[in-house]
Amino acid sequence: MKLIGIELYKLRRKHLFPMIAIFLAVEIAWAFIVTGRLTARNSEIAGWESIIAMISSMNGLFFPVLSAVCASRICDMEHKGNTRKMLFALSVKPIKLYAAKYACTSLVLFIAALLQVLAITVFGIACNFERSVPLLLLFRFFTGTVITNMIVTVFQQWISMAVRNQAFALTSGMVGGFIGVVADLFPQHIRRVFIWSYYTGLSPVSQLYMDENVRFFVRDTGSLMPVIMVLIAAGIGIYLAGSIHLSKQEV
Amino acid sequence: MIYMFKRCISAEWMKLRHSRVWIILAVLSLISVFIGFANFRMNSEVLTKGWYSLWSQVGLFYGEFFLPVLIAILCAYVWRLEHLNKNWNMIMTAPVPAACIFAAKLTVVVFLLFFVQAFLVILYLVSGILAGLGFLLPVEFSGWILRGWVASVAIASIQLLLSMRIRSFAAPVGIGLCAVFIGLGMYVARLGMYFPHSLLTTGMGVLSQTGLSSGENLLFTAMCLFYMTACSITAIYLMHRSDVVA
Repeated sequence: MKLIGIELYKLRRKHLFPMIAIFLAVEIAWAFIVTGRLTARNSEIAGWESIIAMISSMNGLFFPVLSAVCASRICDMEHKGNTRKMLFALSVKPIKLYAAKYACTSLVLFIAALLQVLAITVFGIACNFERSVPLLLLFRFFTGTVITNMIVTVFQQWISMAVRNQAFALTSGMVGGFIGVVADLFPQHIRRVFIWSYYTGLSPVSQLYMDENVRFFVRDTGSLMPVIMVLIAAGIGIYLAGSIHLSKQEV
Repeated sequence: MIYMFKRCISAEWMKLRHSRVWIILAVLSLISVFIGFANFRMNSEVLTKGWYSLWSQVGLFYGEFFLPVLIAILCAYVWRLEHLNKNWNMIMTAPVPAACIFAAKLTVVVFLLFFVQAFLVILYLVSGILAGLGFLLPVEFSGWILRGWVASVAIASIQLLLSMRIRSFAAPVGIGLCAVFIGLGMYVARLGMYFPHSLLTTGMGVLSQTGLSSGENLLFTAMCLFYMTACSITAIYLMHRSDVVA
């Protein structure tokens, strides 16, 4: 806990939260404009499902990049100041430092996902959607986003810590974002391999094009459970590999 | 002055020597062309306009998403070294004008972007030939590539200014991605000629493959020059006026 507090303390003048707010504002504004236009053309599809599906698909692009940016900023300060040497000399265990940085990045992204849910709720109320706020649907959307964020962050943190040149971490974030956008075009067995595809993969709402019109369907929770288990297991595997690799790396 | 400028460029090349930044340049171009090509092949029943349809797919992925972010990463990288190890003090006390330092960085980025565009041409040709489209390229193709490069220079000037002022590597890249969406909005709102990222969309014919008229070409060039000059002058002014944080 103390190390997590220190990591957050290091971020106090990094302007990370305003940057995330701007980033989210652009994404949410874009999603709201597109959804507004879509529902104006076809009032049958207006509802909570359409905005959740739209934000989920846009998260596929935005969150991998946001995760890369956050992980890079949190890890790069140790590279820039050569402070890992100093921290290890002060008996900070590499595994604990790695865990604290991971917790800190995950917390920041958790807040970002929470802000998104709030924005969706406000948008839905402002648009006078027929049904009341679907708390369960929003909770499932939030959980899916947070789980995927945590897995993507595991991967990003490993790269940001292992490679000093942050251009590679940012590039992998961008490539991940791109895969997140186009993943729905891949066959399912290929899509499952890419961790970035789960922003839409774990979304409670799926969209299909039928008769040149887009239709939204609410997914069954039970069908996603095995996928979530495998994803979490993969995340733990990547985390342990990264943590062990970094703890054995010469500083 | 020219001698000092040359020395600055050679210093910038030396800094990039072992950076492996070429891997990033190549990988991002390869991925965008590969996915554009795959999408073209998978939807060949709908995409029937040959080289134009291929460009609509390749250009969309490359020009709309990858190139602006690639420029942002490249610009952040060329300033990264100055933000490390108190190098700002060293660079500002070097016996060269601040203008030469900024201009040398811009020149290096412009050169690298030229190679990226050339690599895109090769990849586009290879993918078109593999798709069996023959050798008759669209007449607008050279214009798309050239205008794409010119618009890239305008974006690079802005990103260089941002990366110079913001010490973080990732923040300017994040801003660059946000600008992509603002640019897309500006293009949709028919204001594509007034924002650098939508200038790239317009210039490369990403969303509409019709060529630009001579008046539009003039406005396009003028706007790119304006952004390039304004950002360069601002950056050099800031280098002169504000104190460095090493």
